[in-house]
Amino acid sequence: MNLTFFDQFSSPSLLGIPLILIAMTFPALLIPSPGNRWITSRLTTLQLWFFNLVTKQLMMPLDKKGHKWALILTSLMVFLLLTNLLGLLPYTFTPTTQLSMNLALAFPLWLATVLTGLRNQPSTSLGHLLPEGTPTPLIPALILIETTSLLIRPLALGVRLTANLTAGHLLIQLISTATTALFSTMPAISLLTLLILLLLTILEVAVAMIQAYVFVLLLSLYLQENI
Amino acid sequence: VLHTTRPLHTTQQGLAPLPPLPEKGGEVRHGLIPEEFFQFLYPKTGVTGPYMLGTGLLLYFLSKEIYVINHETVAAACILTVIIYGIKKFGPEVAAFADKLNEEKMSGALAMKNEAIQALQTAIEKEKKEQWRVEGHSYLFDAKRNNIAMLLETNYRERLLMVYNEVKKRLDYQVAMQNLRRQKEQDHMIQWVEKNVVQSITPQQQQDSIAKCILDLKALSKSAQAAV
Repeated sequence: MNLTFFDQFSSPSLLGIPLILIAMTFPALLIPSPGNRWITSRLTTLQLWFFNLVTKQLMMPLDKKGHKWALILTSLMVFLLLTNLLGLLPYTFTPTTQLSMNLALAFPLWLATVLTGLRNQPSTSLGHLLPEGTPTPLIPALILIETTSLLIRPLALGVRLTANLTAGHLLIQLISTATTALFSTMPAISLLTLLILLLLTILEVAVAMIQAYVFVLLLSLYLQENI
Repeated sequence: VLHTTRPLHTTQQGLAPLPPLPEKGGEVRHGLIPEEFFQFLYPKTGVTGPYMLGTGLLLYFLSKEIYVINHETVAAACILTVIIYGIKKFGPEVAAFADKLNEEKMSGALAMKNEAIQALQTAIEKEKKEQWRVEGHSYLFDAKRNNIAMLLETNYRERLLMVYNEVKKRLDYQVAMQNLRRQKEQDHMIQWVEKNVVQSITPQQQQDSIAKCILDLKALSKSAQAAV
């Protein structure tokens, strides 16, 4: 069918049935649960090794109290990684291109870190609003600036992920359209555009993985400040 | 049809020993299509059958525009190139890594088992050696007994010698005493005899003897000449 540039970003539905839930939960099918075998299959071994690595890396800077967040942060990381990577396949829908979903992920988690900090160690959390060693006249302005930076964090988290993925997908669409359009008139230029598309695809794979990691890393950093 | 003669769920399934996992996954051609499909078509269409089917299907979709070539096709080509390149290049390494992880797990447990077996075997050998040692104990005790007997004998002989020496010392003392007494008696007797003799010489006798001596000396002096 003839696709416009908006079709890959619209929420999928089949005969009026919204498929967004399937789109969001499908990646979970790709991670088999280990079962009760001692020597597991290759896929299970690799995924266990990967989860161990991610959890260790995320939880190392945190103290014991922060380890309660291990499950949600690791599952968030794996979810984002898989949805981003699967979205690179043709004719797929990437849920993380929707700002609504990313804000829904970022806002509650960020708010949880802030509230944890304010409840358990209020003065330390508020103290983060003023960096050390600022000259006295600058203090009021700096407090305002730091507060703004604190409040903008969920927006930044959500919009960063959305913008990166949407931009990447859009670029892929545009350049492949250019390749298709140029193919009949100037095949050589079309081949050059194809080469660019190849490089862009590699970049998009990297961006997909990095953005997932950055999202979770920043959340863990906010947690470190406040726990 | 439910076979009611077969009992359902009589044991807890989770506790039963699991069948071992198959060594390899199902055979796949071109990474996507199971080998069984090719075997299924082989009797009727031979080796090229599935490929003809695939080509025919593809051309059918393209010509009837059931699949439209649009920009997604190009994007699909690119991402598929990247994926296939990645799998071909890094696939064996990743598989080897997964196998290595499993192998390490297994080898840890195997090493433990082997060490336990080794330790027990060493213990058995040590025990056997101890038993062999016990057999030799009789010789050890004999030697010790001999030693002690020798010591006792030596001690006894030493003491015997000591006794002999002491007795000899006492006897020597007695002998020396007797000799001394004899000596003293002799000396005393000689002295007494001499004293008596000297006493018995009267002055007359003394003068007579002195005169005689002088006469003798004169006589001798006549015959002897002094040697110069």
